[in-house]
Amino acid sequence: MTRPDSAHATGADLLALHALRCIGFASLERVAAATGLPEPEVESELIDLAVAGLVTRVAGEFGGWGLTEAGRVADAERITEELERTGTGAVVAEAYDGFLALNPELLDLCAAWQLRSVDGVVTANDHADRAYDARVLDRLTDLDRRAEAACAGLFAEMLRFRRYRVRLGDAMARARSGALEYVSDSTASYHAVWFQLHEDLLATLGIPR
Amino acid sequence: MRWIYPLAPETEQGPDVLGGKAHGLVMLRRLRLPVPPGFVIGTEACRAFLRHRRFPDGLDDELAAAVAELEATTGRRLGGPERPLVVSVRSGGGVSMPGMMTTILNLGLTSGFAAAATDGEPIPDDAIGQLRRAVAAVFSSWNSPRATTYRELHGVPHDLGTAVTVQAMVFGNRDDQSGAGVAFSRNPNTGEPVPFGEVLFGRQGDEVVSGESLTRPLHELAEREPAVWAGLLDALRRVEEHHRDACCLEFTFEAGELWLLQARPGQLAAAAAVRTAVDLADEGMIGRHEALLRVSPRHLQLVRTPRIVGVEEADVLARGLGAVPGVAVGRVATTADRAVRMAADGPVILVRPATSPLDLRGLAAAAGVVTARGGPASHAAVVARAMGKPAVVGVAGLTVDVASARAGAHRVPEGARIAIDGTGGEVVLGTPRVATTAADPHLRRLLDWADEVSGDNGAGRDAAERLGAALTALAARHLFPERVMGTSSRTG
Repeated sequence: MTRPDSAHATGADLLALHALRCIGFASLERVAAATGLPEPEVESELIDLAVAGLVTRVAGEFGGWGLTEAGRVADAERITEELERTGTGAVVAEAYDGFLALNPELLDLCAAWQLRSVDGVVTANDHADRAYDARVLDRLTDLDRRAEAACAGLFAEMLRFRRYRVRLGDAMARARSGALEYVSDSTASYHAVWFQLHEDLLATLGIPR
Repeated sequence: MRWIYPLAPETEQGPDVLGGKAHGLVMLRRLRLPVPPGFVIGTEACRAFLRHRRFPDGLDDELAAAVAELEATTGRRLGGPERPLVVSVRSGGGVSMPGMMTTILNLGLTSGFAAAATDGEPIPDDAIGQLRRAVAAVFSSWNSPRATTYRELHGVPHDLGTAVTVQAMVFGNRDDQSGAGVAFSRNPNTGEPVPFGEVLFGRQGDEVVSGESLTRPLHELAEREPAVWAGLLDALRRVEEHHRDACCLEFTFEAGELWLLQARPGQLAAAAAVRTAVDLADEGMIGRHEALLRVSPRHLQLVRTPRIVGVEEADVLARGLGAVPGVAVGRVATTADRAVRMAADGPVILVRPATSPLDLRGLAAAAGVVTARGGPASHAAVVARAMGKPAVVGVAGLTVDVASARAGAHRVPEGARIAIDGTGGEVVLGTPRVATTAADPHLRRLLDWADEVSGDNGAGRDAAERLGAALTALAARHLFPERVMGTSSRTG
């Protein structure tokens, strides 16, 4: 874009804090991917947040960086404050309505990617039928376009939500180039990013799931 | 009439015109079973509407005449001042597309139509104008993006259109002798030849289907409403005899009077399909060759999936929808954090109201997951499937408190051992017996029949291959009889 971008930019500390609110316990690499910030910068922010008692790092197989209870409270306050200060409540609510209209169809598509009904019996999709997979991907591409349109106002006004556009586009491109797990089955899959966007819209509007 | 057909025994059109739902209702009327009065606008009218973006010539007059007749039959008036005629306006094509299109309930009650009026046009204040709008909304929903996607994925042609069934509403929430439920002629999980299902007393049918309310086992009707129970048993028997196959009926009873709202095939899981085919052959309803045709080799691939077996009804804590097949046994954890901590000491089952991304590490640590909300296509189901964890979703009446879960009268503390069956949707206390159907006597007999047909002794072949050989041999002999019920709606 050549025109000056008037979108609201969220500070790096809140970006890191809020990413953990939306993706749950995660490795540094995943927090960096969610925020779009370089890993060293994210790590620096996370360490500061940890000193403030808002995030913590847990060792072990299912560990990583995550919010503390105080972090959850602080995130809700700061995200609400950002929404009010920037007057973006209406565009978030509008995007949420558009998202909800598309969500059942996206879930249908993910289920159809994982399962197939043949002879009236539902079994795992073994991805041997290229034509079937292509139909699912074509409909997903079409839905992706509609999702982008539904969130256009939000992307125009809030930079942090544009990151979802980039990540959804990445997942879509990888799935289309043959990386089958990028539809529904990896932590960076279209469904995984969509699920986080769902959580973010709910968290931003203060709606319980 | 050119566009509209009565829900009456003499209506002869097939499901391509009436839609599967209305075609089933006409069949029920032919069997002299109680169906609320109504009429169906055929798929031709929908196709004409979608082509020209308006009602075809004559449809308005036919709609007025059909409503007048329905008013005469019921003795009530649509939009009338006292005890008005209240109707449902339901979609339904020739091929089942469950939940993809619009349905409008309670049209004629002042508040009912508002929910369907989403396009900002003023709501007509006359009842027939509202009905017209509702019919147009159902027609248009054929081309909603979600419905289009569904057809694309399931190979359903885009030019078929939907029929619209308009019926007098019956009210399961009328009084304490009212309710609604779903009844199967045979247990859809096991194939056991006894009626099975669920009932909600004092509620409407959509609350049973939505899975938001805790239902009661069907047989409780026997004590509370013996006349309704007797009528339902009779209906299940007659519909099953008519189709010579297991069936499922949606019903409502209003002030002690039974009404049937939909008839569908029996929705049998793999093991149940095997048992039902063998039982029907033993009962003389079908021949052995037909029994073989009733089972797909794909069913036999699924009978290797472990199932919970031999559980008493009293040990079943709750039932939901099986979303990811397989059995998981472990201790209850009600948060992701607890699941991760407890998993260090042995398998856990994560029990949540719904899942958010924050629960994913708990799911990663758990052996299986149970959620109160959601269906087979929900975030929880998609993620559990991706992780290969058995999952039961949509467990009605399940609430999750701090460190315990509650399902109806049962309170299950964190740490209690439960088992879940992701095929049948059962949640069971303790450590039940787990088995596959591979050694099941019904399956053995079915495969013996298969070997007789194929002239093979079955040695060295698995079950699916033995059945496949028999089906190939039958096809070669041109013995495929006409199937009575379509298989397409079995997925619904």
